[in-house]
Amino acid sequence: MIELRDVSKTFRLSRQQKREMGARFQSDTVDAVTSLSLTCKPGRIFTLLGPNGAGKTTTLRMIATMLRPSAGTILVNQHDTVRDPEAVRASLGFLTGSTQLYDRLTPRELVRYVADLHGVPRDLYTRRRDEIFAALDMGAYADRRIGKLSTGMKQKVSIARTLVHDPDVLVLDEATAGLDVIASRSIVNLVRQARERGKTVLFSTHRMGEVGQLADDLALIHRGRLLFNGTYDEFVNDMKAPSLEDEFIRWIEGAA
Amino acid sequence: MKTVLTVFRKELIDTLRDRRTLVFMVVIPLLLFPILFRVMFSVEKSQADKERAKKLRVACVDNGNAARLVALLEERDDLTLMPALPADSLRALIRADSLDGAFVVAADFDDEVADLKPGRVDFYYKSADDRSIVRGRLEKIVDDYERELLDARFHRLEMDASIVDAVDMRTHNVASMEERVGKTVGGLLPYMFIIFCFMGAMYPAIDLGAGEKERGTMETLLTAPVNRFHILLGKFGVVVVSGLVSAIVSMAGLYIGIKQAPDIPPEFMDMIVHIFGWGTILMVFSLLLPLTIFFAGILLSVSLTARSFKEAQSMISPMNIAVILPAAIGLVPGVTMDYRTALIPILNVSLATKEILAGTIKTPHLVEVYASLIVLAVLSLYGSAWWFRRESTIFRS
Repeated sequence: MIELRDVSKTFRLSRQQKREMGARFQSDTVDAVTSLSLTCKPGRIFTLLGPNGAGKTTTLRMIATMLRPSAGTILVNQHDTVRDPEAVRASLGFLTGSTQLYDRLTPRELVRYVADLHGVPRDLYTRRRDEIFAALDMGAYADRRIGKLSTGMKQKVSIARTLVHDPDVLVLDEATAGLDVIASRSIVNLVRQARERGKTVLFSTHRMGEVGQLADDLALIHRGRLLFNGTYDEFVNDMKAPSLEDEFIRWIEGAA
Repeated sequence: MKTVLTVFRKELIDTLRDRRTLVFMVVIPLLLFPILFRVMFSVEKSQADKERAKKLRVACVDNGNAARLVALLEERDDLTLMPALPADSLRALIRADSLDGAFVVAADFDDEVADLKPGRVDFYYKSADDRSIVRGRLEKIVDDYERELLDARFHRLEMDASIVDAVDMRTHNVASMEERVGKTVGGLLPYMFIIFCFMGAMYPAIDLGAGEKERGTMETLLTAPVNRFHILLGKFGVVVVSGLVSAIVSMAGLYIGIKQAPDIPPEFMDMIVHIFGWGTILMVFSLLLPLTIFFAGILLSVSLTARSFKEAQSMISPMNIAVILPAAIGLVPGVTMDYRTALIPILNVSLATKEILAGTIKTPHLVEVYASLIVLAVLSLYGSAWWFRRESTIFRS
């Protein structure tokens, strides 16, 4: 379970960042997320939608304890992200489209490294690694340097790394960005299997096709503010545009 | 501790698989001195051999004087005495390499010598090097000639040659060979290992900080249920080990370079082996350790601040000067260890190493050096830890 209660995040700008924002920008701070409240329940897929710069990545990074909220509370499996960040991270699997892998390690070494960081006992690690490698058909390149692997293979290594400690909560930030159809499918399958196993899944994406395929619950954010928060069915039933994509654009333009 | 070791092991494997880091950490420090010494010695030797074997072209404007000097020049097989040349053309001919040297004997030379006065001989040559072999060869001919003249004078005056020595001063340097070698070679040694220590730590620090940020692998670490300080300690360990390995390997390279160099007197080699006993090595190593931690802290902090590998490189490169300068000051004669210099980082290691090698280190100074280095090492470690916890540092873009 993930709960966000009135969460805000404000970034203080350095002098250089302020210069880069242009002469018309006067403030010393940027509000990336403002008073965001939402709940992701176990056994359901929560999809976070929003255009670039909406605050999706900031929100997910706050959930993953990489960033501290400026205000509000985030609970992951009842653990506060500020007061008990290590417990939060222990129950979290975090996968993003931008996270890269260590090119000079092999998939086997990387997965073991992550398992060691999560304190997974050796025999349990071996069992899980074998299961994951078999499920993702990674055996052929498990001992090859990651730098030599194709994008699809790397994505499977990322999935293996995310799952090796069997997290209760999965946070996926634009995890399919830049991937081809086949590589994206492995992510979609991962999300579905996680739901079947009763995991909490928070999934941010640009691809409306994936929203239609996966979302149980849906939140739409723009400029750090929540525009819609409800079930996927509610969103679809209230649609005033002919397609999901058009409806998404309608909401964003309506908020501008 | 388990987390620190996990991160350390992974970062070490990652570092050892990076060719660029390995080149800076091991290959350059190990091969630089042997190659440098070999090239230097062989070039110097071949140049010296050439100058020794060269048949010199010499002119002598005798003005009808110093017949014996002219005879000495004529009877030598290793030079060609050029036919009479006008005195005012000699400079130009030597500059144009048409002549290797020229003597101009004063017109009153024989009269002056007969009056037991010094006869003037001007010697022209071209060399930017004070130890020129050509110059030495030609001067020796005049020296031999002078000795003949002096012998003749003493004989004529029925005097003993020793009469010209009014004071028989015999110098006795009570400094041990260890002290002399320690204070000369010992000055160069810390200069080398300090620089290599910094260089060896530099690339892993850039790679493990800015490199990891740029590659986008940092999130793997930041989302693991471990303390960030422990992650930093693991990275820190690798940077420290790299710096130490680089410094030690550079010393090994220096030793190999000296050992394989030709014409090194065996007693000098024995002295080097004697100076580098285990006790000395351990003492120098104990200075190097906190210094490397200090370097690692500074380098990691800067590296974590940078947005990219390239930016980190451009931020760290000027720091080389800040390291070289105090290390070079340690080489300046007259700069010695005292209560003030013992507090200046890098310079204190340079001076302390010199004193340790010479066997003249004073305990209070050594304690001060350790205290200063340990304080700096701890400050730099906690400084980089504080830096690593800052969101604006980690997610600077």
